[in-house]
This record gives sequence, structure tokens and C-alpha cells, in this order.
Amino acid sequence: MITSPPHPLTDDFLGFGLGLRTPHYQALLEDDHAIDWLEIISENYMVPGGKPLHYLDRLRARYPMVMHGVSLSIGSTDALDLDYLRDLRTLADRIEPAWISDHLCWTGIHGQNMHDLLPLPYTEETAYHVASRVRQVQDVLGRRILLENVSSYASYVDSCMSEWEFISLVCEQADCLLLLDVNNIYVSSYNHAFDPRDFIAGVPAERVQQIHLAGHHNHGDYIIDTHDAPVIDPVWDLYAHALAHLGPVATMIERDDRIPPLAELIEELAKARQIAQPYLNHPLPWQQTDLSSKLGLPVAMSV
Amino acid sequence: MSQLAELQSAFQSYLSGATLAMDFERRIQADGKISASRRLAIYHDAYRLRLIEALATSYPMLFKLLGDQLFQQLAQGYVAQYPSAFRNLRWYGAELADYLGTALPQHPVAAELADFEWQLAHAFDAPDTALLQLADLAAVPAEDWAGLRFELQPSVRQLPLRWNTIAMWHALNQEQEPPSPVMLEQAEPCLIWRQQLDAHFCSLDAVEACAFRLLQSGASFAEICDGVALHAEADDNETVMVAARLLANWLEQGLICRFYR
Repeated sequence: MITSPPHPLTDDFLGFGLGLRTPHYQALLEDDHAIDWLEIISENYMVPGGKPLHYLDRLRARYPMVMHGVSLSIGSTDALDLDYLRDLRTLADRIEPAWISDHLCWTGIHGQNMHDLLPLPYTEETAYHVASRVRQVQDVLGRRILLENVSSYASYVDSCMSEWEFISLVCEQADCLLLLDVNNIYVSSYNHAFDPRDFIAGVPAERVQQIHLAGHHNHGDYIIDTHDAPVIDPVWDLYAHALAHLGPVATMIERDDRIPPLAELIEELAKARQIAQPYLNHPLPWQQTDLSSKLGLPVAMSV
Repeated sequence: MSQLAELQSAFQSYLSGATLAMDFERRIQADGKISASRRLAIYHDAYRLRLIEALATSYPMLFKLLGDQLFQQLAQGYVAQYPSAFRNLRWYGAELADYLGTALPQHPVAAELADFEWQLAHAFDAPDTALLQLADLAAVPAEDWAGLRFELQPSVRQLPLRWNTIAMWHALNQEQEPPSPVMLEQAEPCLIWRQQLDAHFCSLDAVEACAFRLLQSGASFAEICDGVALHAEADDNETVMVAARLLANWLEQGLICRFYR
């Protein structure tokens, strides 16, 4: 049997970014910073007008951007919200993001939004359900989307595979990309007692387009993903381990609460750069687009 | 119903408080160091905390007025009664003023402050539009003025205030002790709008309120002048001057986006 080489699914390495948060608008506009790109929370800018869009346009003129959503609810059994998708597409047309992501979860049914990234049961039924919706979303947006693994605090008795097997099945069926949240892997591995390295080894490496890093709150017997603190050392170690396995992957740090001055986050981002340095010049086979074009493989899907 | 739909329905029902944890616990793996009920409680508590925090963010002056304890108590009641259907938490809480009307009837000023804060916050990201300038009207021939009609820009909203809510808002905004609630003799219309990037508000006297109401309803400049004449007890010339000054002021404050002949 001939195994085909991994396809170069992901785009070029974008570097190191930060989540765009309102307290940093002015600082980001005033000076040049060691930030390669910004990730926006899509919903915050899916508004008619005013300050959010004003600053978004000005910042977009200075930085590449990626869009990260929280309300797609890709795993819900409600019908897909077509108004939401239309507005997401409108925002994408406005800022031309490098890519668009959301979470592999559900956020509510019966028209409600619980405003939480609720876990899915890891079953084939669920994977096929999610994958068919991802394909619809990708049709509307005209591009592959990235799905992010979420932190979870409970797992279902219905689940019949590991989270990474579930993610792999969804990605394969939907032909979508992955946003690997290394902190979420750490949090979930702590809460569900699995080896986070098994997770990293188990996901389709050639589909990992972006990495998230963040801090969390450890309550002793469980961890809550809070994004209100610096990244802890074990998560940095796991990041290094992931890069050794994945090669260079665009990385950003999320901070959503107790947001420090921008300089502090840039310093934290410098640590990510430092850890990634040894891997930057050693892309893995599927990241060598020159090689793949010589081999006549399809190039990364352009939009 | 698919297995997934049934699972999600049961989980959401537990989260929103319609069913008890024990009804859903059997669906959760009780692996490792923490029980299924504690695992579920993380989601249960986070749901409430998140919505209450969203209300505190949308209603900062109401939060200061009521204090942490009373605000939390009322917000919990609101969350129990009003689920969110919004993609953005910022839009959660539109009915809080109505809710306070029944949950806190002894302090009607709280409901009015809530209404005021909500309108202020939502003028903030209303659609952008080009504004009409006084200079745009310079070319209109004198004989056409009587028939001119105007359109308000989309962030403009009006609120009839029955209490000294604006004075309370100012004091709370400056971290000062708010004045005691005082009911106004007559409801005072308050205009709320966004000029450039910032939200503004002002209250209107009887003449301006009447003229503004007419403009908003699509009345012509001549009809606005008639309205002013009724309130201002002025002769025709003075009436036109008063109406023209009001219009110039509204234009300067960025309230009007276009005119029609």
C-alpha cells in the first residue's frame, strides 16, 4: 500500500501574535511592537459601527489579523445560524483575516446561548454531525476554518474514543484545520488524568495552523481555564514538546481578565519566540511548500 | 431526537436550573479525583457568574447604586428568568429595566437608571453614518425651507426621565454619593446619541422637546415652527429664529444625517 505524503494544508508560518483587547488599542496604535499579528474575537466586531470598528480598521492597517469566534456553536444540534455566518463573512470581507477559527464545542440549543464552550461527547455520531456543519460553514466562508480544542471539566459516559481521536475524525471528515490550545490540553489532561503528550501525538499535525497559550487557575484537584494569569512553566514545556512534534506553528497568547500592560504581554510573547527559535528553521515535511510544489502536490487552499 | 440532541437538551436544562444535577449526573463520567456532581457544578456556577458579570459590565452605575449584594441578588433573579439568545454577551440584559420595575418596585429610579445606561451603551456601536452639516443647507433657497424634512442619525434615542437620574448618574460616575431620588414634576425627555466615537446625552426643555418630536416624526420645518409657536408664545419671526437656532444646535451636535425637500 502506498501512503501519500502529508499535504501542505496549512498556510505559511505567521509568527507570534497577541489577542486584541480594548485596553491596548491606544498602545498598539502609538508605537511599533514586537507583535507579528493580532487575533480578534469576531463577535466583538460583528456590530453596526462605532468605536470597535473604528479601532479595528486602524489596527488592521498596521497588523495582519486572524478572526477567532466564540458563538459558532459548531457542535449544537440546533440549525446553523445563517445570520451569524453572514455577519461573520461580512467581517471577514472587511478585514481579510489570515484565517478564521472557533471552538470544537457547543454553546447552546433551542435558540439559547449559554456563553460557555460546552464539551461534546466523543462519538462517531457527533463527529459526523460536526463535520457536516463544518463543511457548510466552510462553503459559506469560502475557506477552511480552524477548530480549537476546549478546556473541559466533565466527560460523558457516552464517549467511546479519546478527545484526540475525536478531533482527528472531525478534521478528516470536514477537511478543516486545527487551532491547538496547548493550555487547554494541559487543563483537560489535569482534569481528566490523561498524558497531554498523547493528545499532541494523536492530532493530525499537518492540520495545525495555530497555537494558543494562556494561564489558568489551579484549584488543587481541578483546573479552571481563566486566561487571567501568565502561562505556567509546565505549559511552556508542553509548548516546546508540541513544536518539536509540529514544527513552527503561528502562536499567540490569550489574556481575557486581569489584563496587564501591553509590554508585559509582549515580554511573555518573547518567551514563546525563544522557545520556538530552534524549530523555526526546521520546518517539517508538510511545512516545506517548496518541496511540495516540486512534488506536484496541491498548494495550500487560497482564498 | 438524536442521542446528541437529547444529551444537549438535558445538559442545558440542568445548567439553566430547570432540572437537578442528580438527573444529569449519570451521563457524566465519575473518573478520577472529583465527583460528577462537582464537575457539573463548575459549568452550573460559571453560567450564572458569566451572565451576572455581563450585567455588571453593562450597568456599571446601577451596580454602584445598588451595591454588590443587592445587585447580585437581582441579577441572579434576572438570569433565572431571562436566558440569553445573543451571540455577544454585551447584548444580554435588555429587559433589566423592566425586570427591576417588578423586582424592585420600591425604587423606581433603579429601573430608570438601568434604562438610561442601556440606551447609552447601545448608542456606542450603532451604525456609522455621514452627518448633515449646517453648510450643506446653505445652498437651499429661502423659499424651499418651509418644506424641508430631516432624518436623525441611527444612534439617536430618546428617553422620558421621570427622576433625577442624570444627576445620579453623574455623581456615581464620579465616585460620589448620589443625590436622593427626586421625582420630577414633569417627565423630561433625554436625548442619547453618539458623536464621533463617544456617547452623549442631554435633557430637553419643553420647547426643544416639542420641536425635536416633530422633526423626528417627519414634520417639515414650517410644521416645526408651528409647534415652536405653540410653546414659545412668540411671533412668526421670532418663532422661525428659535426653530432655526434649535436646528443649528442639533446639526452641531451631530444628530441629523440628511434632509429632504
